[in-house]
Amino acid sequence: MLLISVVVDCVSKSYSYGLFSKRYDKILSDISLEITKGKTVGLIGPSGVGKTTLAKIIMGLEKPTSGKILIEGTDIWHISSEDRNISLKKIKMVFQDSQGSLNPKKTIKQSLYETANLMGLDVFKGESLILELLDRVGLSSDIFCRYPHQISGGQNQRVALARILLVKPEYVILDEPTSALDIAVQAQILELLNNLQKENNFGYLLISHNIPLIEFMSDKVVVLDKGSIIFQGDTKEFTKFNSLKNKNNFIGYK
Amino acid sequence: MKILEIQDLNVKFTTPIGEVYAVNNASFSLNANETLALVGETGCGKSVIANTIIRLLPQNAEISGNIFYKGNNLLKMSDREMEKTRQQEIAIIFQNPTLSLNPLYKIGDQISEPLLVHKKINKKEAFTKTKKLLKTMGFQNPSKFTGMYPHQLSGGMNQRVLLSISLTLNPSIIIADEPTKGLDNELVRDIIEEFKTVNKINNSSLLLITHDLSIARELSDRIIIMYSGDIVEITKTESFFKNPLHPYSKILLNSLPERGFNPPKGNSPSMVNIPKGCKFHPRCPHKKKICSEKTPPIYSIDEGDVRCYLFQ
Amino acid sequence: MTHHIEELKKYAISKLNLNAIGITIFLLFLFIAIAAGIISPYNPWIRFEPYIPPNSSHFLGTNDMGNDILSELLFGARVSLIVGFGASIIATVLGVIIGIVSGYYRGMMDEILMAITDIYLMIPRIPLIIILAALMRPNFWLIMLLIGFLWWPTTARVVRSSTMQIRDASFILSVKSLGFSDKHIILSEILPNINHVIIPKFMLTIASAMFSEASISFLGLGDPTMKSWGMMLNFAFMKGGLINEMWWWYLPPGLCIVAVVFSLMLIGFSLEEKENIVLGLE
Repeated sequence: MLLISVVVDCVSKSYSYGLFSKRYDKILSDISLEITKGKTVGLIGPSGVGKTTLAKIIMGLEKPTSGKILIEGTDIWHISSEDRNISLKKIKMVFQDSQGSLNPKKTIKQSLYETANLMGLDVFKGESLILELLDRVGLSSDIFCRYPHQISGGQNQRVALARILLVKPEYVILDEPTSALDIAVQAQILELLNNLQKENNFGYLLISHNIPLIEFMSDKVVVLDKGSIIFQGDTKEFTKFNSLKNKNNFIGYK
Repeated sequence: MKILEIQDLNVKFTTPIGEVYAVNNASFSLNANETLALVGETGCGKSVIANTIIRLLPQNAEISGNIFYKGNNLLKMSDREMEKTRQQEIAIIFQNPTLSLNPLYKIGDQISEPLLVHKKINKKEAFTKTKKLLKTMGFQNPSKFTGMYPHQLSGGMNQRVLLSISLTLNPSIIIADEPTKGLDNELVRDIIEEFKTVNKINNSSLLLITHDLSIARELSDRIIIMYSGDIVEITKTESFFKNPLHPYSKILLNSLPERGFNPPKGNSPSMVNIPKGCKFHPRCPHKKKICSEKTPPIYSIDEGDVRCYLFQ
Repeated sequence: MTHHIEELKKYAISKLNLNAIGITIFLLFLFIAIAAGIISPYNPWIRFEPYIPPNSSHFLGTNDMGNDILSELLFGARVSLIVGFGASIIATVLGVIIGIVSGYYRGMMDEILMAITDIYLMIPRIPLIIILAALMRPNFWLIMLLIGFLWWPTTARVVRSSTMQIRDASFILSVKSLGFSDKHIILSEILPNINHVIIPKFMLTIASAMFSEASISFLGLGDPTMKSWGMMLNFAFMKGGLINEMWWWYLPPGLCIVAVVFSLMLIGFSLEEKENIVLGLE
């Protein structure tokens, strides 16, 4: 199991402020979960409980205060930074603010080509791959010369997905991928995400506060509250847990 | 009783990329003591309608049609009269509760300000009224909250404060423009509760503009569906969720979470490149030849009004 | 909200006229500075009869040494603008590097760099330059370097705060998560998105540097071998131009300094304002 999954093992994170002060804020305490290839883990909880911080820690953008992140068995904070970068290449992230996840001063073409360049693809190969991927996410090449603010939120999210497909990750963190989109567009993006998972055997970590969405997409659900896990189990159990909690006015709403 | 009546409203913007028809032939009315939800996707023109009612459109907008408020045409009022109406009769609540309040003033001052300015009552009286209002809005200890600043309160509380401000002058109409956009579920539920309270304690009508069908379902009596600048359906909320009329309404409902996220085919047209005839026809499963030639009129049937040739 | 912004943009466009005035004045002086050798009637070092009031052969008369003042003025544009530009380029490059590094990396680096910036901000700059210029032999390049190395802290502050604003934007996070290097992120993602604060700041720094050079030269600590506008003012004062009411001697360089600084201010402020309006900050 260990070799086809990302394991978060007892991760805690606290922040200290200032150069000399000793103030600490504990954001996460003892979080353990596992993202397996081809499966979706839903992470749910009210805003401000550290969902995004956890995502950043898994991405290697922040170092946990204690605990381990194992990517296919490798503890990423106990290896050299080059090895860490190689391991981290397997995880990529889709952001909530689809418009904001592309540089506003660059055209779609520039953003995509830079990424192809980063992957070491030459211009010709890069171009054919980009066109193929745009077609896969349901976009035509006439959006190439536009800027992010000139296309819709759904199209922006598709571009972001195409860019992620370009770097061929194995695990993808989806941070509220559809919460800024209209209902009909949301359904289209979710279908696309499901299809991409089937084709590429992606392991998803889906962060959302939308319960029906989590229930629809996930195989396993983790509920986070005030920095710690209060529930972890498969989706059926979660539905039971949620209806129970709903009586006490917990996170759900009808 | 109709309190607001909109007849044949057309709004057109002249922009560098061409003319944008934001609202076409919109006609509907808002009854006294009613909550009316105006639902549609981003860019379908629903916020334009709200801004037209309170006349806050930019200069490049061209408006035709009539908006009657208690018998007076809002579009023909002088700017001064309109200002007065805006302040005392029609209140509007914008998207972000925390940003809509001035961070430098205390809650109490912000709520009592309209009373001091427009009702010309003294400060003590205004504060008593403010506290009373806060109490009805669910603040247990109003005297404590009047001295606090917006950043000391949560988003939900700020939304309640905003609602209180809009209620101080007892307006006949409250327009809420996407009051829940970008907020998380807990807050959304709070806000729904607040609006329910407002409905109970106040006899004003609410025009709720939203892209979220579940909120419309919770709050509204009637529902208007807009697609690409056209009103395509006006029905009672209850019957809408049981038996939607327009094909677009059907695909919209099917994409809801509780119906399994069925993705619709195709995308909404961009505002500059709109199909001829019925704007929905390229995506419609029931399209006929006439659909691509002429825009259908509104047909009134028992269940409601619908803009589709199927109901001819 | 979008309509609100549209309206503000319109307002911004009407404000651009001020920008156009500023650019026109500035380009005029830039042209003078470049073409001084062609358009000036005489070599500014040639001596004619001293103290001639304006006449047909000397439009602005001559000074105590008999140099043609119009020619001095035209060549002075060159010196003053070079000092202004040179100092501003040094200050902006330093400020941008320090600002971006401390805003992007935060942490210890930020604390140290900002502490240095604060110390620099506390230094009384003109008196320091006066002391240094008095100690060393006054030299044109030295003054330019000194101004450049003392004028960066405000730029660094502004750049740091803009960098901090966008470093957590999701497009930065997403390129970071795609594996782009810090160098790429800073040069290709952050810099294009903050140049709207750098350019006006650059303009304002030119104005400030020119003004400081004039002050220093006026106090007699400038480079005597270079005829800058400040130096001309200095001579007009020292050699009795003001007492003898020779307005053609002391007024033109003063007016030129005011005009260039004013034009740069107009450009700088209207660029700044335009950006604020587009961002909806006003």
